[in-house]
Amino acid sequence: MKARLIVLLVALISIFATAAVSAQDTVSEALVTADWLEQNLENPQVRVIEVSVIPGVFERGHIPGAVNFVWHTDFVDTVSRDVVSLERFTELAQAAGINSDTTVVIYGDNNNWFAAWGAWIFNLYGFENVQLLDGGRVKWEADGRALSTDVAAYETGNVTFAEANADLRALLPEVLAVVEGEVPGTLVDIRGAAEYNGEIFAPEGVQELSVRAGHIPGAINVPWGQNVREDGTFKSVDELRALYAGLGIDGSTPLVTYCRIGERAALTWFVLHEVLGYEVALYDGSWTEYGNSVGVPIENPAGTVWGGQ
Amino acid sequence: MAQTAVGGSSANGAAPLSRQQITAAAGLVILIGLVAGAYVLHDVPEQGSKASLSLLIGAALGILFQRGRFCFFCILRDFIEFRNSSGLFAVLTALAVGGIGYAIVFGAFLPNTFTGRLPPGAHIGPVSWVLVAAGAAFGIGMALSGACISGHLYRLGEGYVRAPIALFGALLGFGLGFFTWQSVYLGTLSGAPEAWLPATFGYGGSLIIHLTVLSVIAVFLLKYLPKLPARQEEAITLRGIWDRVIHQRWNPLVTGGLVGIIGTFAYFRIEPLGVTSQLGSFSRTVLDNTGLLFDRLNGLDTFAGCTPQIVQTITDNGWLIGGLVLGSFAVVLLANRFQLSTLTLRNGTTALLGGILMGWGAMLALGCTVGTLLSGISAFAISGWVFAFAVFAGVWLGIKLRLHQG
Repeated sequence: MKARLIVLLVALISIFATAAVSAQDTVSEALVTADWLEQNLENPQVRVIEVSVIPGVFERGHIPGAVNFVWHTDFVDTVSRDVVSLERFTELAQAAGINSDTTVVIYGDNNNWFAAWGAWIFNLYGFENVQLLDGGRVKWEADGRALSTDVAAYETGNVTFAEANADLRALLPEVLAVVEGEVPGTLVDIRGAAEYNGEIFAPEGVQELSVRAGHIPGAINVPWGQNVREDGTFKSVDELRALYAGLGIDGSTPLVTYCRIGERAALTWFVLHEVLGYEVALYDGSWTEYGNSVGVPIENPAGTVWGGQ
Repeated sequence: MAQTAVGGSSANGAAPLSRQQITAAAGLVILIGLVAGAYVLHDVPEQGSKASLSLLIGAALGILFQRGRFCFFCILRDFIEFRNSSGLFAVLTALAVGGIGYAIVFGAFLPNTFTGRLPPGAHIGPVSWVLVAAGAAFGIGMALSGACISGHLYRLGEGYVRAPIALFGALLGFGLGFFTWQSVYLGTLSGAPEAWLPATFGYGGSLIIHLTVLSVIAVFLLKYLPKLPARQEEAITLRGIWDRVIHQRWNPLVTGGLVGIIGTFAYFRIEPLGVTSQLGSFSRTVLDNTGLLFDRLNGLDTFAGCTPQIVQTITDNGWLIGGLVLGSFAVVLLANRFQLSTLTLRNGTTALLGGILMGWGAMLALGCTVGTLLSGISAFAISGWVFAFAVFAGVWLGIKLRLHQG
């Protein structure tokens, strides 16, 4: 009897302990912790990709074994202002040794903004086994974890992708359809409040790429920084769900996220789609396309006029 | 500090021993201060380990430039005026070692050289007539002011009074350079090739070409080397080592080799060596604050080099420059060699004019003898060679016109 009790007790404790550890480990299956990644660096099933925007960051030291994807040229088509083509992306992913059953973990500088764009591209082309490193490069460095300058070379992978999934991407006509109430949807503007309100055209130190200030009519302003904690890691699933629910975003309508050039909005896309599981498209044209488009309605509470006195 | 120092380097000089000791102690305090400063800096928000390392790299360069007399103008003048090529061997060695170092680092940074990409941040600049004009102006400015920009920085620590005037002139020159940049970017710089040897020959081929060219130049320069003095056997003592390190000029090959190594480390950890980006940034920020400058300098952000930015803080390059000046100052004090130079209206004016020419040239060439010449040639950039020859021509002209005898 006593022995049974002990067994039961041990079993209960281990269940709670496991639950506690896993709750502590990840906020979501869409994320991996630095601890997990550190233990899986040798795992051939895992391929780590860095997407940083500052030149030379990857080269001067990256997570051991990581492969570099350059946001400016590898994830976009610079000529047609489009996402990278299916052919080119397949080439890059295969060269990085990615197989159809590989787990892809992406991280990068600037709070994973560009890494989130990478995760979006993988999803767009139908590859869903992709996760973000929680806290990105900043947290990895702050933890004092090892970096390497080794050049990783992998055997060509066998991954193939599907045609782009139109559900994950919003183009201008679709955004306009939401604005005009033809289709249901909620727009999420993740820029800072001053940009959203039209007081400024672009964040400080950044070129003005739009001739109008303000936001897309009806968009809800949730600056991207609200998704993360001080150390750059994502808030817990419950905190995130409560944050968006408090603003009326609960996944009951399709969502569209946008920012200025599309990359920070990828972070919020990731939170809403991958972490919370809502139906979300990224409007990668974002304000630089929408704000410059002729004849489309905007809201500009501040009333700022470009070049006006 | 100047009053405490008396010329002459020998320990048995005329100055009272205590004064020498005080001066040397001050030098030691500065060296310790540099190390302590680097330690403190690594924990300062928005600065961090890169700023800290930049300060130390700067200090090392200051010591090296001062002890090895790694002054591009002095080196060129020795050759042009006195037919003495020994200093040029320091430059050739720096380029040879730097080239090997860069090839090693490049191999990790950009394994495939044929993708059309350039290695991140390497000083590979646009090649056009603008670069030739900039280099020639820079060379003439060197002759007029008595040193290049890095030379002035380390000679600041020696008490060279023309240095601050020339450096002030360089700030003005940068300001002028911005306006010229704006008018030559379209039409010339925007279409100028950023020629890079490895894009055609790979790293191995480029290194062979690099070392061959340097060797050919070295063989040609051999006959301009002064004869080596006879040396007697001597026991190696601490005092002898101190004398060699602190008082005697370092061997050009040692100096050059160390410059090449430091240049490689700097590129590997932070950015290619350069001493003008903080100066140019200072000018640009001042002009920007006064509203005199256009918000954007056309195309500047598409080039790697010592490019001036609008900054509100001290950049890594700023720490490097500070370290350079203080490092030189410290070893000058250790040797009790600090001495204020004489300043006249004439040599002050030429220093200012020379500084302006150098600032203008460094802006348009995206760097000076360190950033464009040293870091560029080490990176197998054609722009580095073009700038080098233009600077040589400018200095040669300046010396022939006796501009340096201000």
